[in-house]
Amino acid sequence: MDILAGLIQTAFLAGGVLALAALGEVLAERVGVVNLGVEGLIALGAMSAVATVVITPHPWLGFLVAMGVGLIAGMIFAVATVIIRANQVLCGLALTYMGMGLAATLGKPISGSPAPATFQDIHIPILSDLPFFGRAFFSHSLLVYLIFLVLPVALHVLIFHTRHGLNMRAVGENPAAADAAGISVMKMRFWYVSLGSALAAGAGGYLTLVFVPSWSEGVVAGRGWIAVALVIFAGFRPINAVLAGLLFGFVTALGFVGQAHNWPIAASILSMLPYLGTMALMIVPVLAWQRMRRLMAAPDSLTVPYFRDQR
Amino acid sequence: MHEDSIQQRLGLAPGTPPLVALKGVSKYFPGVIANEDVDLAVYPGEIHALLGENGAGKSTLMNVLTGIYHMDAGEIIMDGESRRFASPIDAIAAGIGMVHQHFKLVKAFTVAENIHLGWDATPARISRKALEERTMRLADTLGLAVKPGAIVADLSTGEQQRVEILRVLARDAKVLILDEPTAVLTPSEARDLFAALRAFVARGNAVIFISHKLDEVMEISNRVSILRAGRKVATEWTTDCSETSLAHLMVGREIVLNDMRGDGGARKIGAPMVTLEGVTLKSEYGTVLKNVSLSVRAGEILGIAGVAGNGQRELTYVLSGLVAPSKGTVTLDGEDIGRAGARVFAQKGVGHIPEDRLYAGMAPTLSITDNAVLREYALPPLSNGPWYAPRRALALAREIARIAGVMVPDFAMPARNLSGGNQQRLVARREMRIADKVLIAAYPSRGLDVGAINTMMRYFVEMRDSGVAVVLISEELEEVLNLADRIAVMFHGEIMGVVPAQGADIEQIGLMMGGQRQQGQAA
Amino acid sequence: MSYRLQRMPVAAPSVLFSARVLSVILALLTAAAVLALSGKDPIALGGKVLSSTFGSRFGLEDLGLLFSPLLYCGLAVAVGLRIGAWNIGAEGQFNLGAFAATGVALFVPGPAWLLVPLMALAGMAGGALWILIPTLAKAYADVSELITTLLMNFVALLLVYWVATGPWLDPSGMALATTARLSVSVPYVWGIVHWGLPLALMLAVGLAVMFAYTRWGYEVRIGGANPGAAAYAGMPVQRHLILVMLMSGAIAGLGGMMEVAGTVGRLQGGISNNYGYLGIMVAVLARAAPLGVIATAFFMAVILNGGIVLQSQGLTTHTVLAITGLILFYAAIVDEVARYKLIPTTGEVTPKGAR
Repeated sequence: MDILAGLIQTAFLAGGVLALAALGEVLAERVGVVNLGVEGLIALGAMSAVATVVITPHPWLGFLVAMGVGLIAGMIFAVATVIIRANQVLCGLALTYMGMGLAATLGKPISGSPAPATFQDIHIPILSDLPFFGRAFFSHSLLVYLIFLVLPVALHVLIFHTRHGLNMRAVGENPAAADAAGISVMKMRFWYVSLGSALAAGAGGYLTLVFVPSWSEGVVAGRGWIAVALVIFAGFRPINAVLAGLLFGFVTALGFVGQAHNWPIAASILSMLPYLGTMALMIVPVLAWQRMRRLMAAPDSLTVPYFRDQR
Repeated sequence: MHEDSIQQRLGLAPGTPPLVALKGVSKYFPGVIANEDVDLAVYPGEIHALLGENGAGKSTLMNVLTGIYHMDAGEIIMDGESRRFASPIDAIAAGIGMVHQHFKLVKAFTVAENIHLGWDATPARISRKALEERTMRLADTLGLAVKPGAIVADLSTGEQQRVEILRVLARDAKVLILDEPTAVLTPSEARDLFAALRAFVARGNAVIFISHKLDEVMEISNRVSILRAGRKVATEWTTDCSETSLAHLMVGREIVLNDMRGDGGARKIGAPMVTLEGVTLKSEYGTVLKNVSLSVRAGEILGIAGVAGNGQRELTYVLSGLVAPSKGTVTLDGEDIGRAGARVFAQKGVGHIPEDRLYAGMAPTLSITDNAVLREYALPPLSNGPWYAPRRALALAREIARIAGVMVPDFAMPARNLSGGNQQRLVARREMRIADKVLIAAYPSRGLDVGAINTMMRYFVEMRDSGVAVVLISEELEEVLNLADRIAVMFHGEIMGVVPAQGADIEQIGLMMGGQRQQGQAA
Repeated sequence: MSYRLQRMPVAAPSVLFSARVLSVILALLTAAAVLALSGKDPIALGGKVLSSTFGSRFGLEDLGLLFSPLLYCGLAVAVGLRIGAWNIGAEGQFNLGAFAATGVALFVPGPAWLLVPLMALAGMAGGALWILIPTLAKAYADVSELITTLLMNFVALLLVYWVATGPWLDPSGMALATTARLSVSVPYVWGIVHWGLPLALMLAVGLAVMFAYTRWGYEVRIGGANPGAAAYAGMPVQRHLILVMLMSGAIAGLGGMMEVAGTVGRLQGGISNNYGYLGIMVAVLARAAPLGVIATAFFMAVILNGGIVLQSQGLTTHTVLAITGLILFYAAIVDEVARYKLIPTTGEVTPKGAR
């Protein structure tokens, strides 16, 4: 039982990166832009967070700086894909490589050393002391609650229960219709892509300030790509996205437990689980249930740049 | 046209200003004058038709009026003031609403969600129930029946159009612009629409009705402005015009509304060339073709009429071999080839001019050469065993372009850069080359100007006269009536009836289009 | 005469080449600016790169060793693009090719003239196998191959790492994280440059011929540009998709075999060294044309070599990755901007009716 509680606790820790990055990507894809630069954004955020904390030991500042870096990178990406309307796939790949390369180059001095200040778990009276549930659910840092509770609910309400959210979804489904209805497609796309990038970089900050916690060039390990895949699996819905992140955190936690308990499977093989699991999640539901395709359908205009004056 | 007399004839107080006036509006696109120096004035209580052939600039002009395009010259005047519409929201705020030919609806949303899109009267926090209740109230007030909770993708085009109109009217539109609204309606639905429009203008509003159909313009409008090649040619009172005079103004020359069926008796119609027997087709959307039995004979043109989306596209798939029927047989010249596949069909002499050539019949980003040889690339002299000769392909492409009368500066250029009319001519001649037995033409005149349409029609007559069985699918009833020998009407994937085109009863055809089955079918 | 900007549906072919050159120049200028800002002299560094690379025989041989895997990976991705598929998994397929070839070398006895071709076949099979699941998922479930091929990369990297530090670890105890030295190797053609390079060049030419001068090449071209039109013409689109994607994986796998059996001599973690990802850049810059890939792979090899040469200056291979990302970014932007033409607002325009 204790193992299970520990697993769940680690699931939150490990899954936080995926969950926050996936939330950011949900925002971008809901307005019809696919941002494949998440991996690079996480790297940039991860590196910036540690760099900040090395200078002044305030983890929240590190997290905010990470988000700020992501916002700027996201705006550059948005200028290219939303305003100039260049190919989204290429720009996303470019952002990944630029982000990873830049983070590795600038982060060399701080590579490998543990972050001087990290997010501490907070103690909630009564709840944290509960047997099993206390350890599993109520012994986390504030950031975890933000990512798994506050943000997804807030975003869900925004996207599905407000006038603004209705307009936003229209931009992703049929920008011509949104335009004719008087909604500014470009503004919506620009801001949500930038905001989504900020969240993705924030996920990087979470990675190096909560989970690992240090920066090195291989630390992102494909989590950005898993997050992009999770968004598809989650049907582009915020609450599903963090649940999917949690699920993957659980798979990762299993791998850790396996290593710690010397299971007969090599560490490398166990580390494959998240990637194989993601692939299975992408393929199996679509194969098994034809209806899934319509339910999990992507916003109709995903990846398509919008030109009002197009003939 | 003298200002006072306009108000007088419309029954307005003298000096009533127009609801909206366009002065000297011009708009240009690459290599094309879409509009030049157009003047238009629309008064309260009038239904003003905007008439012109495809490509005359009607939709462009209205897109300028509704803020989707920016005009290169001219002004828009409302309430005596010159207005600038930087984006659609400005036009909507000014009381101008447009129902486009291709609806601007979000298919995945419900009717209620679409109505409330981009509308500042929508409350900041919304719930499905609340939106649906508000929609019901709006629908009742404005007298348009809609289903608030339905997903738009599941509605018929007529219902979708009503949603569009409701959306526009809910924003307090005073000027309602409709772009070719009856293209997607049965004759009786069109009549309902006209009644609603008359009620609308009776309340002091105005309608701009874009159309290229002369009979409709005669029926519904008070005044009509004719556009030709981007310029306004005339504005007339409809009662002062006839279909012939309008056609003359539209095209700029005397045209004889041709009966191309020719000398009925002298032409020989042969044995059935392609026969569908009990064809049923199921897809992930359900049963799209139900028990279809049809026969097309050599040397005849069979017209398929019906509102688009009633199974015509699926019919072309089966006729061209792209899809095998779930039940039933397809026989070509005595041979059962239903399951043989598109390549075999083409080899055996079935040509297909597809409905959406950019999606199906062409690869727009590839060169003109690549597109021209799509049917013959595997045959000698272009191919020899596994090898393909690009130079011979170019020679064939030149030949096809020459016969099609298309001037191509560079055959390596992407086919997308050609005009729609030229693309269609190229595709048509390419298909005609291999269509020894059957030619299927799906909506061949869509988006083409009168010159290109006439060319198409001549091609079909040419094929017919050389003994090919031609299947012509069209939403222009007039086209089918002028060209076909027999007319089959489709509705919800079934053939409602087949009638001879000569002396056909339009009312009866209209009823069949709306779902009424013909008594005692004539195959 | 006043002018207006108009967006054309497809950019003119004459502009496409100069667009590519422009994006490279812009990226290099940006990199130079960044270098200058951080206190280094970009011109001197650039000169050092060129002289080290082209000035000595060793430099050219090193260049050749970088050129070869970039060619294989670039061709692999380019082939995938021809049928409209994004093979981001060249990195993983490269690893699998190396893995399979190593397996043959370590465990199959035989003379070199037999083993080396066998290893090549194993390499191709390994690469094709690694792209099989993403291929089938795309063909039958319409799952985006972009992400599935990418995820397989991580699995492949872990696999190679595990095998090189575990079951296949060098038994002589001399190495910590690689296999034993392979008993056979690909013969050398010039200095330490092995036959893998000329083979890759021939492969590029062969592919160019196949795409332009065979019926199959025509069908792949149509299928990649518009599957709807290909189906309409009765082409076996599904079959072509699967075959071409497997080819793509096989080519990357062959590159891996050449790397392990020609350049490195042992299987170790990191043998793929980002070649797969750089191959994407190479293919995109060349607009998926096999002959163009020769040029862009060469160019990329020069940049990579520059990264190695400049390591003493504090630049890493990651800096190189960042620069190639920048090139890709500019390429995407310039491609879009290149569609705009300057049109005079008065002058030769034809009225719409007269066509």
